[in-house]
Amino acid sequence: MEAYLVAIAIIAAIYVLLTLGLTLQYGLTGLVNFGHVGFFAIGAYASALLSLQGVPLVACFAAAAAIAALAAYPIGLVALRLRDDYFAVVTLGFSETVRLVITSERWLTNGVQGIPGIPRSFAGMGVGMPGALATLGAIALVCMAVALMLRRVVRSPFGRAIEAIRDNEDALRALGKDPARFKIQVLALGSALAGLAGAFYAHYITYLSPDQFIPLVTFYVWMAMIMGGVGRVSGAVVGALLLMLFLEGTRFLRDLAPDLISAVDMASVRLGAVGLALVVFTLFRPQGLMGDYTRR
Amino acid sequence: MTITRRLALGAAAGTLALPNVVRAQAETFRIGALNPITGAGSPYGTGMQRMIQAAVEAINAAGGVNGRRIEVFAEDTQTSPQAAVLAAKKLIEVNRVRAILGTWSSGVSLAVIPLTNEADIILMHTSGAPALSTPPANARNLGYRFQATNDRFGRAFAEIAVREGFRRPATMAFNNASGIGNTDGFRRAWAAKGNQNGEHVIYEPNQPSYRAELLRVLATRPDVIVMGSFLPDTTIILREWFQTGTPVKWIIPGWAANPQLVQALGPAVTQGIIAVESVSNEGAQAFAAYDAAHRRAMNNQPGAANAYAAMTWDMATTLALAIEQAKSFETAAINAAIRQVANPPGDQVASFAEGKAAIAAGRKVNFEGASSVLDFDQHGDVTPDFGAFFIEQGQINRRYIVKI
Amino acid sequence: MFGALLVAGIVHGLIIGLAALAVTLVFGIARFPNAAAGDTMTAGAYAGLAAHKASGSLLVAGGAAMVASAIVSLLGYLLVFRLLARRPVASLLVAAIGIAFLLRAALGLAFGHQQQVFQVPLAWPVEVMGLRIPPMDLTLAGVAACALAAAFGVLYLTSIGRQMRAVADDPDLARVSGIRPLRVMVALWLLAGAAAGIAGLMLGVKTIVSPEMGWEGLLTAFAAAILGGIGSPAGAVLAGLLLGIAQEVSTPYVGFTYKIALAFVVMLAVLLVRPRGLLGRVEGLR
Repeated sequence: MEAYLVAIAIIAAIYVLLTLGLTLQYGLTGLVNFGHVGFFAIGAYASALLSLQGVPLVACFAAAAAIAALAAYPIGLVALRLRDDYFAVVTLGFSETVRLVITSERWLTNGVQGIPGIPRSFAGMGVGMPGALATLGAIALVCMAVALMLRRVVRSPFGRAIEAIRDNEDALRALGKDPARFKIQVLALGSALAGLAGAFYAHYITYLSPDQFIPLVTFYVWMAMIMGGVGRVSGAVVGALLLMLFLEGTRFLRDLAPDLISAVDMASVRLGAVGLALVVFTLFRPQGLMGDYTRR
Repeated sequence: MTITRRLALGAAAGTLALPNVVRAQAETFRIGALNPITGAGSPYGTGMQRMIQAAVEAINAAGGVNGRRIEVFAEDTQTSPQAAVLAAKKLIEVNRVRAILGTWSSGVSLAVIPLTNEADIILMHTSGAPALSTPPANARNLGYRFQATNDRFGRAFAEIAVREGFRRPATMAFNNASGIGNTDGFRRAWAAKGNQNGEHVIYEPNQPSYRAELLRVLATRPDVIVMGSFLPDTTIILREWFQTGTPVKWIIPGWAANPQLVQALGPAVTQGIIAVESVSNEGAQAFAAYDAAHRRAMNNQPGAANAYAAMTWDMATTLALAIEQAKSFETAAINAAIRQVANPPGDQVASFAEGKAAIAAGRKVNFEGASSVLDFDQHGDVTPDFGAFFIEQGQINRRYIVKI
Repeated sequence: MFGALLVAGIVHGLIIGLAALAVTLVFGIARFPNAAAGDTMTAGAYAGLAAHKASGSLLVAGGAAMVASAIVSLLGYLLVFRLLARRPVASLLVAAIGIAFLLRAALGLAFGHQQQVFQVPLAWPVEVMGLRIPPMDLTLAGVAACALAAAFGVLYLTSIGRQMRAVADDPDLARVSGIRPLRVMVALWLLAGAAAGIAGLMLGVKTIVSPEMGWEGLLTAFAAAILGGIGSPAGAVLAGLLLGIAQEVSTPYVGFTYKIALAFVVMLAVLLVRPRGLLGRVEGLR
């Protein structure tokens, strides 16, 4: 049981990291990124491929974050020129293009056959619980560090500037600040977090294939952020945990009452519940569970 | 099914007991049924799961293994590696299963096998990817493949193409591991016979039109197109092809060229298609038992409709016989016994009950399964026979069997 | 071969164009990219399939597809989008994604995940000026032409159509001119839904019907709407045709797997070079 809980906790922590990235981009800055999974994929593949070349894992993780951030740079340049809605469509297209490139460039990614046998993180600590706990510890530390950093960012001049981009970009410009620089920085930073999450994912699952990086993952992260509370660091954590509870909880629902709903219908029910959560929270509780009641 | 029914009733009656507690009276041997109930594998997953349960019912009715009942815990892979990993973790850690049976797609099996290796338990799957035969995936030799590899499928395609006298085959593959594996296997085997390979096109799923792909292939004037495809894309491609009016023959895997395809397209379009499928061991006694069970559990559908369900039926039976042979519940002993009970020489047996009696009498047994004769090579792979089925006037008729 | 690809591209393009029309109408008037348009198409395809099974007539199927999708689309507006009118565009987008998922889940529960097909007679091609054209392509092109004619008739020949275009041009000016927004919005969502329904029906007849079919084509429809110029119905259809033809004709050169990415690249290029698209008005960019 413990190992299963640890496994869920690791996946949940990966979603926390993804959600924190999106919180920075959308929650704090207002960038509507519908292509989060693309950066997640870039990080995962970058780290996996490097590690298979014998690069030490620490360097792989750093490279995953850096490469995802670099990939965000041109998207950031595009973002400067586009309205929110266009940007959303462009990023969605970007993530699908990333998936197509992974699918097509067999020389690099082994295409649809996927990459098996990726080194497991903390393999040196032995297989099973010690290694898994170490992985969980590492990713939890990273999450905490990122959360603390984001909290500080919110209170810093940089944080006030990016929140101004969200709330009133023209006012920011009138103050003589350049929103473009901030946007690119925020996009790169959020994508680096997604890339880092991808590295953790790659070295935990140990097998990557393009069909793991479909847009649904992006919307899972959106769901976590919206349920938890847009723009709240605590909301990202609570939202990601709720998401995992929901995704894994449906398994036990079937263990307890298998005749209630067939497994085939369960997939539809799960998708429908994600949809319902997105609609209901947007309509009735846009501030999320952990949201600030005084604002918006 | 009776177990789950009782569980549901128990829960409904408000006992509020956890499932593990309810059934804790006698120690059981626990196995996991990890099948693609939803996602791309959904046409097969439910049947696969039911047949594991049905085979286990038969095993328990014959007195169980080494005096213990087998207990099945079922999970859905959603045909997705991430969901499958968590499901496998749950089976291993929460339900404490000692073997996992019935993963279907290669991606899922490749993601799950590190976990089963780590937990020191057996994984029996129906995936085609060659990587599952060798290290790192099968480093501990705990993986067993009940399906032909994609490569063997390709070789069977080539045998049939030669036998039908085709000279200029082109290939079209769905862009996934299985689709490309089939056509690559064909092209290798075709070249190995000293022949020239024709045009090769890899196409993406979910396209509104495949005409560009099709015209590219047809422009090279092949006499046959060998497909590595699935049902939806095959439906669309054959439809578009028929409307081009170009005569060509088709060799298509049996999971795509099936009765649903005939129903969707009608007899005129499907006339003369050659469907290739690893044939279930249809003459065998084991198949008759499986077929009866499949009809009972699946609304009177014939067992031949789902070759993967025959494989999962065999998985449960093979595993149970190996436990009986090993006289142990330890993985190492069971693993060592699998080839003993499945491979020749030995008395051919068709069911667990029969095999159990023979083992008790001290004889060496050779289980002949419903899906194939089930002889595992050193990689844990089987080499089933392949059937060449011709679609004629809307009927899918088997003409001959190919052995590779 | 080029001619055959051109024909295929036109039929493919008409489907994209109809879907893009549904997207662009909503985009131009309700001011957000409706991500539920794809699954509205799917709903139309299933309704058309059921009607076709019952009646055997493609005409009846077309009517059923239009009505069903129009109702789905209107319900989306009345129950969700109307309540979000003053929220940031991201809220509308997220809600649209939510509706898309809900629709797909409902269709999956109602009809299952097995593929279904329209049982239409398939025939060998007819020769038209040396081109071999499948008769089904002619039928589908005819259906699309009728649907487009009807849509443009509503937009340009009726009073409600003029009001819709007025709101698209300048919502504030339209309001002070006494145009009742609710009536216009209801008409808009009905029309957009009907267009999506026909697109779904055509896609279903041409390929197969499954719960995922509409979502898969959504990105291409967005690309066509942007390429054509947001809010421009004629632009959407033109762009759909261009993209359809480009995807069919160019893929022998760029490779089959990148076929889908082509739409994205075109969209990105348009946004960066000519954000108002082919026939769009000058859009406020920031």
